[in-house]
Amino acid sequence: MPLTFKPWPFLPNPPVMADPALKYVTLVSRDGFEFILEREQACVSGTISRMLDPKNGFVEAITGRCVFENINGVILQLVCEYFLYNHRHRNELNVEDMELPLELCLEVLMAADYLDC
Amino acid sequence: MYGRATAKSQHPHSALTDFLASNNISAAQIQDDYNRRVAEAARAEADEEEQQEEQAEREADPDHEELGSEVEETPEEKTRKRKRQQAIEKLKRSKEFARRKARRTGDPGDDADADEALADQMMSEKSRPIPGQLENCEICGKRFTVTPYSKTGPEGGLLCASCSKNQKEGNKKAPPKKRNSGISRRQNQNALLDGHVRNGPRSLLEICIKKVADNIDDVEEFGDLPPPVMLKISHILSRRRAITPKILDLFLRPHHRTLDIYDCAKLDTNDYHKILATMPSLTRLNLRFVTPMKDQILEYMIDKDIKLEDLHLDSPNLVSDACWRKLFSRIGPRLRSLKLWNLDSAFDDETAQVMAQSCRSLQRLKLKYFWKLGDEALRAISAMETLEHLSLQFMQETQPESILHLVSALGPNLRSLSLENFELADDRLVQGIHNKCRNLYKFRLTHNSVITDQALAELFRGWSNPALSYIDFSSLRDVDMANPDGPEEPIGLASNGFMALMEHSGSKLKSLNVSSCRHINRDAYEEVFGPDKRYPQLKSLDISFDGHVDDFIAQSIFRCCPALKKMVVFGCFKIRDLVVPKDVAVIGTVGAKLTVDGAVQV
Repeated sequence: MPLTFKPWPFLPNPPVMADPALKYVTLVSRDGFEFILEREQACVSGTISRMLDPKNGFVEAITGRCVFENINGVILQLVCEYFLYNHRHRNELNVEDMELPLELCLEVLMAADYLDC
Repeated sequence: MYGRATAKSQHPHSALTDFLASNNISAAQIQDDYNRRVAEAARAEADEEEQQEEQAEREADPDHEELGSEVEETPEEKTRKRKRQQAIEKLKRSKEFARRKARRTGDPGDDADADEALADQMMSEKSRPIPGQLENCEICGKRFTVTPYSKTGPEGGLLCASCSKNQKEGNKKAPPKKRNSGISRRQNQNALLDGHVRNGPRSLLEICIKKVADNIDDVEEFGDLPPPVMLKISHILSRRRAITPKILDLFLRPHHRTLDIYDCAKLDTNDYHKILATMPSLTRLNLRFVTPMKDQILEYMIDKDIKLEDLHLDSPNLVSDACWRKLFSRIGPRLRSLKLWNLDSAFDDETAQVMAQSCRSLQRLKLKYFWKLGDEALRAISAMETLEHLSLQFMQETQPESILHLVSALGPNLRSLSLENFELADDRLVQGIHNKCRNLYKFRLTHNSVITDQALAELFRGWSNPALSYIDFSSLRDVDMANPDGPEEPIGLASNGFMALMEHSGSKLKSLNVSSCRHINRDAYEEVFGPDKRYPQLKSLDISFDGHVDDFIAQSIFRCCPALKKMVVFGCFKIRDLVVPKDVAVIGTVGAKLTVDGAVQV
């Protein structure tokens, strides 16, 4: 189950060194929802992949935990669903667009613009 | 063979026989075959008649049936027989049966036997419905015409059209349409013509933007959407011609400095006023299809002393010359970029002179599809020394000297230069560009059949200008219907010019358009896209209407241009079978077989 609300129990605590090989990353929304998914899936987003790149020296690269103060849980869940959808269809041609609830569309749009995905 | 030999010895050949023989077809053989077929058909007919007679005899003989029933039966056969018996019983009670019986009353013979025979006959008729015949529906009893699509009812009878439909719906839903796992051609071509090849899903941003555009009527306001996103939404809506006054309101933000609306055809004077009134800090105004725009809008700009720096208007034809001059003299000095398209009833040479005198800090100037401008305007523009980007397309013919003068005056400063439709311009123009221009990165010279290949080759040889990024030489070619190969000394961009161009700019070139330059021969292509050549940045290539390009050249192009995204090949009929790299959009092939990533598109 790559997408859960529970925190990942095996996170190094305290995190001492950067481990770019860490398979899972945690995305945290403004209201505290945590989404754990594979690094490769999350890196569909340009912003997240830059955050997690050890070369850029962000804390996120060490902890594998990205907190988004400007995105709430509902939107972040949709974004995570998109990551999975993108990962699942990455090598296909003519993929159907993902379904999004219309009322959240503008908010997801803002998040997508911020996350560069 | 025998027939042929005798025919040979008896008759002289006909021309047809000769021709057929040369193609290894024997006329005698054909004749024999035909005779054999006729004979066979006759035999089959005779057989059928015999069978029918037999059957009639069998039907007349009641014992015949009994014989069959004495043979041992399996349970299935028993049930089938029982059902058949039931059906016959039912049939005997039907109106049709009664009517037929009445018709036969004159016949001799036992009544019961005759009934049995008639029932049998009707049964067999029923089991083989003939399309076109009339029949009573088994469910509703209506009379209807039998078609090949008529369904069989629960009791084995036929159903009318409406009952067939109900029956089908009741039985089972049609299986869900299987999604085509291969490439759906239409969808693909659609995307290709837009120039994008999509691998994998769209980005979330694109999905959202499309969704917002699809439901724009339900959007009350955009909130804090960033300007680039708003621009994209504006693109999509303009393309659908969906920008109405109500939707325009979504784009009006008092604190924004730019506004781009690509289709203003549905807006009226009030809406233009509203734009200017609600966005007082506008510095960039880009409106297309502004046919309804009148003098009073520009007057309003002048009165408000609007801080415009970039003004882009497409087809403001109701604006008078006097108003243009006033606008230029008032806000001209602060303009940095001016782009106007499609002016046919106003904007004459004199206005152009006022523009040239007033717009003293103009860096970008684009005047395209102007009907009234000519040599005078070119002379006026020659004095605008601040220009860095210049793009001109006049509908009138101009003298080669005027454009040469312009290039000599402005050349050293220019970074991009686009000259379209200067049909009289000659080799001197190209020499002038060679001598004066040092900073060009974008160069377009199109629609000319005077400039020679020699001059174009010399332009690129030893040119002190660094490698160009964008080159468009489309339609530089000789036009002479009587001499399709062109003159001995090639006119337009031909082999030498093309090789010199790629030699000079190949390393930086991003976009190259040489469509309709049909005198570039195959050897030149082979040389330019040879095994050791690489054009690392070339993304877009248009080689339409050069009949020399074939599969080999196209494959060589793919090999030499690793970054290629779009290749346009309209009218390259020698391209028949291509293996296309995954990210490349190949546009304009006719009936060619394209293999993308193992999947074949025809």
